[in-house]
Amino acid sequence: MRLEFTLNHHPLALEELPDELSLLDLLREVLDLTGTKRGCDTGACGACAVLVDGKFTRACRTPAAKVAGCHVITIEGLRAPDGGPTDLQRAFVEFGAVQCGFCTPGMIIAAEALLLKNPLPSREEIRKALSGNLCRCTGYQQIVDAIEATAQRRAVARQGA
Amino acid sequence: MAELQYIGKEEIQNVDGLVRAMGEARYVCDMHVPGMLIAKVLRSPLPHARITHLDVTPALAVPGVVAAITSADFEEHGNFGWPIKDAYALAYERVRYVGEAIAVVAAETETAARAGVEAIALTLEPLPVVSDIHHALDPDAPVIPQISPTGKGNLCDVSIVRNGDPDPLLAECPFVLDEHYHTPHQEHAYLETEGALAIPEPDGGVTVYANNQSPFINRDIIAALTGLPPEQVRVIQPPIGGTFGGKDDVLYQTSAQVAQLALLTGRPVRLIFERTESMLASYKRQAMDIHLQIGADAQGNLQAARAVLLADSGAYASMTPMACWRATMHAAGAYRYRAVHGDTQVLYTNNGYSGAFRGFGNTAAAAAVEIAIDELAYRLGRDPLDFRLQNCLRTGDRTMTGDTITQEAGLTACLEWVREHADWDRKRAAYAAQPADAEVRRGLGVAAYFHGSGLGGEGLDYAASTLAVEPDYSLVLTCGLTDFGQGSRTVFTLIAAETLGVKLDRVHMLRPDTRTALDSGPTVASRSSIIGGNAVALAAQKLAQLLTFAAADALHCAPEQLLRDGELFIGPSEEPLSFEQVVDHARAMGLQLSVAARWQMPEIHWDFQKGTGKPYFGYVFGAQVAEVEVSRKSGKVRVVGIWAAHDAGRILYPRGAMGQMYGAIAMGLGFALMEGFRFENALPQTTNLTTYRLPRATDVPEIEGTFIPTRQGLGPFGAKNLAEPVMVGTAPAIANAVFQATGIRVRQLPITPEMLKTSR
Repeated sequence: MRLEFTLNHHPLALEELPDELSLLDLLREVLDLTGTKRGCDTGACGACAVLVDGKFTRACRTPAAKVAGCHVITIEGLRAPDGGPTDLQRAFVEFGAVQCGFCTPGMIIAAEALLLKNPLPSREEIRKALSGNLCRCTGYQQIVDAIEATAQRRAVARQGA
Repeated sequence: MAELQYIGKEEIQNVDGLVRAMGEARYVCDMHVPGMLIAKVLRSPLPHARITHLDVTPALAVPGVVAAITSADFEEHGNFGWPIKDAYALAYERVRYVGEAIAVVAAETETAARAGVEAIALTLEPLPVVSDIHHALDPDAPVIPQISPTGKGNLCDVSIVRNGDPDPLLAECPFVLDEHYHTPHQEHAYLETEGALAIPEPDGGVTVYANNQSPFINRDIIAALTGLPPEQVRVIQPPIGGTFGGKDDVLYQTSAQVAQLALLTGRPVRLIFERTESMLASYKRQAMDIHLQIGADAQGNLQAARAVLLADSGAYASMTPMACWRATMHAAGAYRYRAVHGDTQVLYTNNGYSGAFRGFGNTAAAAAVEIAIDELAYRLGRDPLDFRLQNCLRTGDRTMTGDTITQEAGLTACLEWVREHADWDRKRAAYAAQPADAEVRRGLGVAAYFHGSGLGGEGLDYAASTLAVEPDYSLVLTCGLTDFGQGSRTVFTLIAAETLGVKLDRVHMLRPDTRTALDSGPTVASRSSIIGGNAVALAAQKLAQLLTFAAADALHCAPEQLLRDGELFIGPSEEPLSFEQVVDHARAMGLQLSVAARWQMPEIHWDFQKGTGKPYFGYVFGAQVAEVEVSRKSGKVRVVGIWAAHDAGRILYPRGAMGQMYGAIAMGLGFALMEGFRFENALPQTTNLTTYRLPRATDVPEIEGTFIPTRQGLGPFGAKNLAEPVMVGTAPAIANAVFQATGIRVRQLPITPEMLKTSR
């Protein structure tokens, strides 16, 4: 299979991929982008979440062929203009939302997908948006704190601009 | 003590946080090395069977397969285990649970490894199973272990407490609660499944990257099973994606398997569990049946208790005997009694196997006794929180084992905090007045707990740390305890920087590597901050002494004349010296700026035969209130609020401590309402995270928590432990809230809608 798509802002053309390849295996095994995690293989945990054209997508349940022509953003593609962490990534650390870190990339993807649709969500809306992502360490509260604070800071920045 | 710079500061962040948030941390499943083989496991489909034929030769004929191993490839057939040596690296002669590993195939690709597993010739002769602990000791029950550790068939172990004689006291009590409780198996469900990567070394040894909790124990087991001397086995901890007690024995097996395959093939071998394998093969929290008799006098003073516990260890002992010992030490709860007896039997069955899990026995014990205390309060017509305040342990009291609490105990303060913050008195009255026919009903419930610190009577409780000044004036710190997400690398970094008076970013903590760190025992029992933290503090004090000595020499004064301001060393007369200048001077003096230190818990003694002694050197305490909303039609429970107070001495790393509290409560909520891992006729009823439900962001309420400061914590700067004990209060608080809401007293977890549905 031949596949052309945009990955983390760069166009990509790949040849001779196995037809059955999942997006998760493409990212992890073919491209060595291991920030996207494999947690359950049944679409239950959201650790494999990526953005496909801005939408929350479970890479383990998505055939690689389906992203032809799409823009895929993985956790490695979420960077500030200087190449460092984004405001949201910093906020996750600032608010204690990262413990073991295995769910964190998927959580950050879910949060960015939410903030694209709803720039100033309530805590309840944040919890709802995270309900496809499992975290076993944090009890979610500090994750919600980090997303809420980032949304508010971005709103302030937009007003200032 | 001078004002602290880092310890207890809200703004301190996890030292591993950014790398993880950016997706750059490489867990073992993310590691690729040249020439690496992929390993896959043949697992038992049956809960109990004799292996009558096992031949891996057909697997070796599959293209791409490089090697395959069975128990015959290990020393002593791969036999290992502590405290009971009943487990195997791969099944030997028999399989004893569904999912037990029988053989492992290493191949060039995952597809070839799977085909190799398929090709293995295996004949299993089914044997009768033991699936009910109540029948494990029947005369005709098949004996599960190879050798019964007690000489009494499936009786794996016993634990007892003998504190006075409860019988005459119970006979005199006007109120004696006498009930049975059941707590389920629980799956750890760490987001990162089990995995190990072994790399053969030119000297004939092997290096293993594994996501286990206790690297030195793993090293010693790999060495014993492969026949290598321990110094030729090196275990390195990569970043780890959560453990909660679940990544010990199962990782020792996996590590030994990949190590043996790497030694046989001369190539790196990696084995990563699929989620289904993780659910089937890994050990669980042991299910328990708990029978409690608790008596109170007419004034509501608790008098005596008797606890009889039966625990399901499943096919192997793992840490279940020790977890059940802890359960026995806590079975009558955080209260004063005149006499308590506890009797626990640990039984072998074919229900998977059980071992360590957050709370380690106390999660089950506290769930049972806190529901029981609630029942007793109701029968006495008392407010459940008042009743707990009247009877709860205070400084100087004797615990249920007769042990005197010598450090300041914060339980009363915890109960008073949750009473106030949950608005207990008002809400309890309001919910008591709800109309009986209301479809959605609310309830408030409380639970209190205590938890012995560290390993206690289980064994010598020590850790070691090294600290050295590098050529670039940075500091390299090690400890043999693992950070699997709980934040101990951050805590250790803070302790070293605080003690030495240096900038935080000067300190670089290495991950445990058995070649560079020192053996620190197992990373269990919420002991990292206390035991490991004290070792780090001690190492930092030793290094500080060397630097002070050098600074005094350079500044021509006595060491006690020196003052510190940030990193500066200030003498009585000359210009202050920077940290770098002091290090340079120390080196010029010929001082070696590297130190090692070991810290050990004061020794205590518990007599396992007599059931008497001192089980723990110290205790922590806490209380929680849960508020629930129950739909009487559907029976569904929604937890709308949790208020939690934990006596934690001094908090070292506030963000991390709160994270432990929230995470422990979420896990306790799962234990209360959704997480029973069920076996039927020894067959597991769930194999994935779709059918085994974990709490999601929408299931967990906003939590209001606090840490009650108390003095005399055993840890560095007066810290106490917290990662596990916070969990034990949540499930009973929820069960007790459900009772106020519905009038239904649930004595079996998890609480399901079927238990609460009204048939209207």
